[in-house]
Amino acid sequence: MHRLGGAGIGGLQRQTQASQAYKPLSSAISRSQIDGLQQQLSTFREALTRFAKEHRNDIRRDPEFRQQFQRMCAAIGVDPLAGPRKGGWWAELIGYGDWTYELAIQIVEICVNTRDMNGGLIEIGEVLRIVRRLRSLSGENDSEAVSEEDIVRSVHTLSVLGAGYQVVTVGSRKMLRSVPQELDTDQAAVLEVAQEAGGQVNEAALVLRKKWTSERARTALDNMLMRDGLCWIDDQAEEGIVYWVPSVMLWADDGGTGGF
Amino acid sequence: MPGLELAPYQTPSGFTLPSIHSWSAFYTYQPNPRTLATQTQHWTQLLLTYARARRLFALSLADADLASAGKGAWAEVLHNPRLKPPSTSAHYTTLHACAVLLPASFFAPGQAGAESVILCWRTVGEWAGVLHDWALQTGQTSTILTLFEISNPPVPSELSDIPEPLLRRAVGVLQRSGKAQVIEGEGGGGVRIFA
Repeated sequence: MHRLGGAGIGGLQRQTQASQAYKPLSSAISRSQIDGLQQQLSTFREALTRFAKEHRNDIRRDPEFRQQFQRMCAAIGVDPLAGPRKGGWWAELIGYGDWTYELAIQIVEICVNTRDMNGGLIEIGEVLRIVRRLRSLSGENDSEAVSEEDIVRSVHTLSVLGAGYQVVTVGSRKMLRSVPQELDTDQAAVLEVAQEAGGQVNEAALVLRKKWTSERARTALDNMLMRDGLCWIDDQAEEGIVYWVPSVMLWADDGGTGGF
Repeated sequence: MPGLELAPYQTPSGFTLPSIHSWSAFYTYQPNPRTLATQTQHWTQLLLTYARARRLFALSLADADLASAGKGAWAEVLHNPRLKPPSTSAHYTTLHACAVLLPASFFAPGQAGAESVILCWRTVGEWAGVLHDWALQTGQTSTILTLFEISNPPVPSELSDIPEPLLRRAVGVLQRSGKAQVIEGEGGGGVRIFA
């Protein structure tokens, strides 16, 4: 029977010696591992820094590139918008955080300015158009282009404020809700019908399209008109009373009034 | 009708109407107070801009009635023949609400039914300044001018056709600052403006 280090007191001493000899060795190994990791990290960090520096302008300019970049960040578990504690250093590095926050502020401004007109519901496309106009951008190919993705992402950064800004999908289009009240299903249905008709909706259309009773249609429309201010009434149409939802209507560049 | 876009419209006389002017709901009285406030604000802005561009000093219900038939100075802005049904015109209530709420206007006194609104696209104080400058530039300081002479000068001026109630207020401003003296007399009296 073999005993570790041999028998007797000599064996025990040898064992102690051996473990003492192993200790520095093991710590040397783990130190080199840590060094290696740190080196890898710093290389990674350097590479990221270099990448961010090199492509800083592309990231700011090109929405397509920005989206890819965003995806890459998600894949390696880095949030470019995170605060200074986790990864914020490189959001600072490319000015990406500031860019998104600036956009968010601009979106809030747009929502507040148009709220009286549209009842706090605005199409993302419309927001995008106003942003482009405010920034005097000509279109998609402009060097400082902003995309719908950017708008949606900026809105998400607002969620921490609890101001109730959220993106909702109505029919086929994305809309931005800027008042904390939820859209109920009836409202969403009315918006969908209105959207298909260029912003126009009436009781008959809802009865026909959604198979609602006229009471339900009337209540939904009345709520939208009086409670939410989401639509305007029109009593001059040939077919009787018609409701218009400004947020799903198409406005020319003057946004209706020349002002916004 | 998807694809319908409301667009600004330029009238034959060269005034650009905002795209909201092509929206039929803009002509209907809005029962929601917040929406009404927005609507009123847009109407106010439009009416004042138009008044200024056309040098129109007053808006009356008679104007609104004329406009709904496509006639009168206000027809372009109060009536939209391009809408369906084309007879769409500024709803009486909308118009009235706007007129009452116009912050820079007042009802003309002494007129039948007080149905006419003086539109101050310049404030009374600004008009007082215009009057003073005009008197200086035309060398008519210290002479007695009738209100008629001011509003119907031989050489057209900024003050041409200014309504008497508005002119009286402007004179009042000058009087209070010691730049004018009002002389009471027959036929409306006169005013002496000091340099």
